[in-house]
Amino acid sequence: MYSIIVVPPPTTEDENHRTQIRMAPGERLSFGRSDSGNDLAIAHEGVSRRAGEITAQGAFWILSNLSREQTYVVENPEGAGEHIKVGPGRLDAPVPFEFSRIVLPAAGDLLAIQVWAPRHDYRSADGLDGATTAPAFSVDRTKRYFAVLAALCEPRLRGEPHAALPTVDQVVDRLRPNWPAASRTSVQWNIDYLAVKLRLKPGPEEADTGPRLNGKKESLVSLALRFDLVREDDLVVLTEPVPRRVAR
Amino acid sequence: MTEPYAVPVPKGYRVGVWEVREPIATGAFGSVYEARRVGDDEALASRAADAEALPRTAALKFLPTGTGTPRQLTHLRELVDREVELHRRLKQPRLIRMYDTLTVDDPARPALDGATVLVLEKAEGSLSALLAADPRPAAGPALLAQICEGLAQLHHAGWVHGDLKPANVLLMADGSARLADFNMAAEMEGTHAYTHAFSTPDYTPPELLWSEIGERGRRIRPSADVWAFGVLAHLLLTGSFPLPGATPTARRDAAAAYARGTDDLRLSPELPDDWREIVRDCLTRTHADRVGTRDLLRRVEAAAGTGRSPRLPRALRGRRSRRTTVLAAATAVVAVAALGYGVSNWTDTDARGSGAGASGAGTTKVTAATYGASELRTDKGVPVAYRRLIVDSAHDCVQPEVTPALIAALLKAESDFDPDLSDPSVGEEGEYGIARWTPSLLRWWIRADGVPAKETPKPPLSPAESIPAVGRYLCYMEPLLDQKGLSGDRRVLLAAAYRTSTKVVNNAGGVPPKYRDYAARVAHHLKEYTPPGKQ
Repeated sequence: MYSIIVVPPPTTEDENHRTQIRMAPGERLSFGRSDSGNDLAIAHEGVSRRAGEITAQGAFWILSNLSREQTYVVENPEGAGEHIKVGPGRLDAPVPFEFSRIVLPAAGDLLAIQVWAPRHDYRSADGLDGATTAPAFSVDRTKRYFAVLAALCEPRLRGEPHAALPTVDQVVDRLRPNWPAASRTSVQWNIDYLAVKLRLKPGPEEADTGPRLNGKKESLVSLALRFDLVREDDLVVLTEPVPRRVAR
Repeated sequence: MTEPYAVPVPKGYRVGVWEVREPIATGAFGSVYEARRVGDDEALASRAADAEALPRTAALKFLPTGTGTPRQLTHLRELVDREVELHRRLKQPRLIRMYDTLTVDDPARPALDGATVLVLEKAEGSLSALLAADPRPAAGPALLAQICEGLAQLHHAGWVHGDLKPANVLLMADGSARLADFNMAAEMEGTHAYTHAFSTPDYTPPELLWSEIGERGRRIRPSADVWAFGVLAHLLLTGSFPLPGATPTARRDAAAAYARGTDDLRLSPELPDDWREIVRDCLTRTHADRVGTRDLLRRVEAAAGTGRSPRLPRALRGRRSRRTTVLAAATAVVAVAALGYGVSNWTDTDARGSGAGASGAGTTKVTAATYGASELRTDKGVPVAYRRLIVDSAHDCVQPEVTPALIAALLKAESDFDPDLSDPSVGEEGEYGIARWTPSLLRWWIRADGVPAKETPKPPLSPAESIPAVGRYLCYMEPLLDQKGLSGDRRVLLAAAYRTSTKVVNNAGGVPPKYRDYAARVAHHLKEYTPPGKQ
């Protein structure tokens, strides 16, 4: 029942396979240089012994900056520079982004901890309140993951129910006009994120990422089409620039 | 409610023998209108020939399944099918009746053309309207007993409601309650059912909050309805939700915190003691601890003082006559033979095994020996102890090729169902257990959450570890086998890939010569274990 995922800065040991720490609402993760007393040790001289705490709070999370003098910046990587600053000593600052990167200034280096909040709710066409039967998914149609999902679903939505799914490279090509920085890695990252976001039954993809991606793409597309997460009129996200604000 | 109607239908509109009158309610998917019978044509006579006569008024539920509907929803068809299927199969006194289904044929109105119309028994109102009334209805306990009876009828027939909440409990002209809205209902397959990925946050049990969803939807058990009943009982008896919070989101987080054990359940002090126990046993942290529907019904009836034939307290009748004016022109529907007919009728059905009340599947009790009998023959020597594991493991996989019969055939060919098999001589590590797993390979498939185990498992390898892992591994390999150019039954090819690898099978273009014997044995048992008529 986790709602927040923390991806620590890469270390030399996990080049291909980055650790993910899953947190349920109310769980707290302390981080810092010291091995003892921190749930997540960040071995870098420039990081405070007790640097901070991340607490999952329902669908969002809060950050405490325990350092004496460093200001932490929390960036929204898809937010065109959108960020918040959390000054030294500030406790429990709420972070509103679905994806975030906490940047720790550390003696000239910048270390990034990624935090995902995949349970963020978005208003669906049918509204959302406690007494209404609501879809179990809520996706942000302005996010890149939605464009990736739309590109994956496109051939089948265009009327060929058994069309082969586009390869990752084809998705990259399809999205590049509106997303010049699109790459194999970023598209694959988004596919992996979608599997988390849509709570796809996890397969042992950690075992080997290559061929498994096929099964994952296939599952994502069939889920998205079955539950109408992407409809034909959503395919405009492939041709129009991604709006910065929720349009529907 | 002020929200716009999902399907606007003008007053006076004709569908079949029905003329649409006032709107009653709307949901996210469809809208319900009151209708009166105006036609008397032969269509009516032939349609209703073998059913009971149609009432003078009914509730028409319009679901926009037409092709010209502005928001074309593919999942809507499925929701409609679920509801119609349930109505066709189940007629129970505590479930709202469906008389007929119609399709609108009106090309001039693209928004309505092709819409599915369910002709339903007309109710007087819903429990949500009653809850809005102040003071709280005194009939709460009696209503709860009837709601619980409805749930028991559903569960007993092998269905899960999936969306129990006040708006889906209808109150009839005589003040009795019936369950309605079966869009999310699902028929049980073994221990659980697959339902659509929709839910109502305030009535969703914690294990389904953010639960994993496969292509078949989310897995749901009858205990989900039991949780919803607990919430509904608390709400009806005290006027407040059992979990604290001013918003659905806050209550959802409270439910999550409670389920994790960080918070305790603090029920309202207004709740009488006997109800407190009942609500507590509905709202347990895990589904496994929740009270079963049968026990629940017995306890609810005791607490409500209704015994086996619920009597309706006078208080409700008084209240209701006042409400009638509010709801306008509500005509009495069906001279309700429902009261006193409920539980006893249902238990009779049970005694006979299957019968009039609950036609269709699910009335025979599923024991381990017949578990999954429609997919795995019971008379061919598959050990009873492993049936449940085999069937559930196959159901966990979305690939149609991975069937209970395939897993059973594979186990038969690998070990002849010997759970203690130990063959240290094979390869570097040896092969162990009922599925002849190589321990270092099993490590990747042993965990249900898909994460590899921290350490390589050490023999002995139990069937409970081995069999679900076989299902996961086969499920993983299915898409990796070439789609074209392989000769032979894909299920047998999968078994061959289990013995060797997908690569070896792909390269050989079928079963490699060395493994022909093994494949032939699997094919033989696969045929043997598959029930006739199933492929």
